Amino acid sequence: MGWFSSDDSTTGVKKTSGGAFENPSRTNRAKCYEARDAFFECLDRHSILDSINSKAGREATAKACGDTDKVFEKNCAHSWVEYFKKQRVVNYQKELAIKKIEASGGEIVAPQLPIGNPK
Amino acid sequence: MSNCISGATRALKAARLPVQTSARRTLAYTNGCKSDLETKWKASCIMQTQGLGVQGQNRAFSSSSPRYKLKTIEQIKTRNKGGPFNLTAAILLVGTGGGLWVYFRSEKERMARKRIAESTKGVGKPKVGGPFDLVDHDGNKFTHENLLGKYTLVYFGFTHCPDICPDELDKMSLMYDKVREQCGNDVLLPIMITCDPARDSPKVLKEYLKEFHPDIVGLTGEYEKIKQTCKEYRVYFSTPPHVKDGQDYLVDHSIYFYLMDPEGDFVEAIGRNFTAAQAARIISDHIKDWDKPLKKETRWT
Repeated sequence: MGWFSSDDSTTGVKKTSGGAFENPSRTNRAKCYEARDAFFECLDRHSILDSINSKAGREATAKACGDTDKVFEKNCAHSWVEYFKKQRVVNYQKELAIKKIEASGGEIVAPQLPIGNPK
Repeated sequence: MSNCISGATRALKAARLPVQTSARRTLAYTNGCKSDLETKWKASCIMQTQGLGVQGQNRAFSSSSPRYKLKTIEQIKTRNKGGPFNLTAAILLVGTGGGLWVYFRSEKERMARKRIAESTKGVGKPKVGGPFDLVDHDGNKFTHENLLGKYTLVYFGFTHCPDICPDELDKMSLMYDKVREQCGNDVLLPIMITCDPARDSPKVLKEYLKEFHPDIVGLTGEYEKIKQTCKEYRVYFSTPPHVKDGQDYLVDHSIYFYLMDPEGDFVEAIGRNFTAAQAARIISDHIKDWDKPLKKETRWT
């Protein structure tokens, strides 16, 4: 929360003319992740899954979570914002698919190397 | 440790003290025994003598070890009732069996690792890896020859990576530290090769990597050279060849750690599903398997 109460909320991180991070350091990444989490929390509150792919989703997002979205854009590279927004949809669908497989009695095992016997 | 020892010494001292006093007492009252008046001490005198007698007996026995002597048929029968199986035999059997099982299992794992490690050796071209000519994060030339003499852990990534590469690089530094703990300091070299040479200059890489681990070496180079390296390592990547200054884009790329042996040959690929501890164990096992004297003696500390 510290990031938003300080000046960072108005200036955001340093970016190039194209909207990429000037320096994707650990601090800058942490700022971006925090802004993303705040934005996603707002989407969760308003039951919005997709904030990027459909026109309806974009409009609903702008109406309900416009402010957090702006902070998100300020603190992250634009490409990261798009990536995380799309990832949210993909992750949700992935979870759904896993639940569906598990409900029907299937088991999901991460691919392992033939040896190594990881414990 | 020192506490234990000092404690024991103290206990010994404490134990010795009453022994000495009682000995003196016995000596003092040996004469007293003769007088019938001091019956109280007589009893103690007898006890002492008895004690001495027992001691003497023990001494006599200690010179030759006691041995079973089966005298009668009954004794032999009872002894052989249980057959040749007794507790000692059972413990020996289980112990030997368990030991053999553990040995064969570890040997089997070692052979399987050896098979994996050597599947890319020998005749023909290696399947993964090959010659490259790049620049390290200090601006020095770095080629495949710099991989020789140590195991190397090669990772492909880029600094503008949103979430996966930073996570994987954190994992890499954990793995690296664990392997060093288990195998020594100078056996593994962690390397990150960028898939995004347009933005990742040596300076950028150095700044970026020192936040993960100061020992990770960042490699970059001309687009064509990076492309060739990626091809050799079977790494897919999607960096556009010509980018404008300040352009914002992401690079899609394969996420694997490639373990290369001290001869520069590919050993094993480690995917994202492994935790740092699991990966470190795999790497350490391979390093411990390495028994060739080549360069190990001269370059490994």
